[in-house]
Amino acid sequence: MSSLSDAKRNLRERSERALRLAVLSELGRDQPSTVEPYRPKGDRFWRMLFVPLYRRIPWSAKQRAMAALGMTAKGWQPPARKPGEPWRPPAGATPPAPPAQPERDS
Amino acid sequence: MERVIVIGGGGAGTAAATITKRLNPALKVTVFTEFSDIAYSPCGIPFVHGREIPKFEDLFLSTVERYREDGLDMRMETVVTDIDLDRRTITTKNEPEGFDKLILCTGFFWEQPDVPGANLDGLHYVKDIRKSMEFDKQLDSMKRIVVVGAGPVGVEMAGGLARRGLHVDLVDEGPWVLHEILDPDVAKPVHDSLEARGVTLHLGTKTESFEGDADGHVRAVTTSDGVFECDAVVTGLHKVPNTKLAEAAGLKLGTTGAVSVDDHMRTSAPGVWAAGDVVEIPHGLNMIPIVGLTGAHAYAQGRVAAVNITGGDLAYDPVWVPWGMVAGDYTIGGFSMGENLARSVGVPYVLAKGVGITKARYYPGAEKTFVKLLAEPDTLRLIGGVIHGGEGVKERCDFLAFAAKRGATLYDLAYMENIYSPPIGALFEPIQIAAQNALAAQRENKLAIAT
Repeated sequence: MSSLSDAKRNLRERSERALRLAVLSELGRDQPSTVEPYRPKGDRFWRMLFVPLYRRIPWSAKQRAMAALGMTAKGWQPPARKPGEPWRPPAGATPPAPPAQPERDS
Repeated sequence: MERVIVIGGGGAGTAAATITKRLNPALKVTVFTEFSDIAYSPCGIPFVHGREIPKFEDLFLSTVERYREDGLDMRMETVVTDIDLDRRTITTKNEPEGFDKLILCTGFFWEQPDVPGANLDGLHYVKDIRKSMEFDKQLDSMKRIVVVGAGPVGVEMAGGLARRGLHVDLVDEGPWVLHEILDPDVAKPVHDSLEARGVTLHLGTKTESFEGDADGHVRAVTTSDGVFECDAVVTGLHKVPNTKLAEAAGLKLGTTGAVSVDDHMRTSAPGVWAAGDVVEIPHGLNMIPIVGLTGAHAYAQGRVAAVNITGGDLAYDPVWVPWGMVAGDYTIGGFSMGENLARSVGVPYVLAKGVGITKARYYPGAEKTFVKLLAEPDTLRLIGGVIHGGEGVKERCDFLAFAAKRGATLYDLAYMENIYSPPIGALFEPIQIAAQNALAAQRENKLAIAT
């Protein structure tokens, strides 16, 4: 892999791990039968700086940033339909032929 | 004769090969697999170990001979060592073989624990059915097993081996089992069920090393919670895409490390497709690529590759990931994401929670089913959920994943039609109940947004 790919993968792994660990602690705190997750040493930057910073950014801005950094998929159709939008054939699909008109008695 | 080569004989590979041949019988389709078997269900292996399925032979769906009868050129126990995209050849047994089109379905391997002793004998990975058959014979003379990793396969193996009467220690760094997919409000019934089977849980616990005897066989696992003696270790960490061939050939990999494909399963190289656990697929909500999907996803991707390789035009949709399993004896499932993942990624959501029953309340065997749905705060569009308890978890998760993919909202679900038939469904559908509870909370301005 290229160094850029390595860097993206590394960024994703580390950031996901830090965000996940923070959430596991918070969500599990008051739930029965759960414990504190094991915390690896050396994650202070991600825990103390990255997680609070990431959380301050609105979701729409995060999405734009992820797309700009190439962290989202290319060559894929976005989800097919928005709420309330009627169904339509997939892009590029041949529209079905209109049904044959029954012969009318004259 | 135009030749299609498929590398890999798992769900994606067999689907790609058989459907390609069926759609265009004039093609020569060759399947290379390093294993001696094809068309079996590795997902069933934990349940044979647990004696819930009588024998391994039940997991085989077809035979190599049957594939040959269908016109496929089957190369069993044959490792492909190289792909040359310029010459359009693959290398196997030091001999090149030419192809016109290539489908890469090399699957995954299990993440190895990155601690001392991980190369000892007696560490078992649940994948190859022949190795599992051997392991199953050895289990008859074993008493103690340590399972490292409380992901889906680790939990299924722990539950199965405990059911068989073995002493099982389940070790995981997370704060509850299945913490990567399951929310903590489901932890207690899952833990209770596993413990009722006899599994001893060691959560929030790091595996530090494996200790071996003079013969190099694992005899104990040292953890941050103490040392656990064992006769064998079952590892159930993460699935890692097997991209060795793809990477060496120069195919583009994505941010997960898996092969990057478009919605027609095309890789970055002309004439080369890929499918199954070796590829990454975008999540339908945010288009972030993910890996570690199911055999059903792999099969469907193989089918899409086959249609397109034979001149069709079929797109594979971004995924909404319905999932479900039995942990111990407790049924759990979900789709897309639960609170755990939504908060990690930073997706804002509102919650719709409800409890229903699986049959009419007066019908024997009616059980509670718990539904938790996540929806976009402004539109109430469905974005994820977790369901647990009783029958119908799988069907509800399949339905909800499809509903989310098609843009359904809590309004749609609150007024959905449902079957009322005492043995299989109650008057009020649990999904409806959850959605109606959320709408009621919204009317009273009590629908809180979580981020």
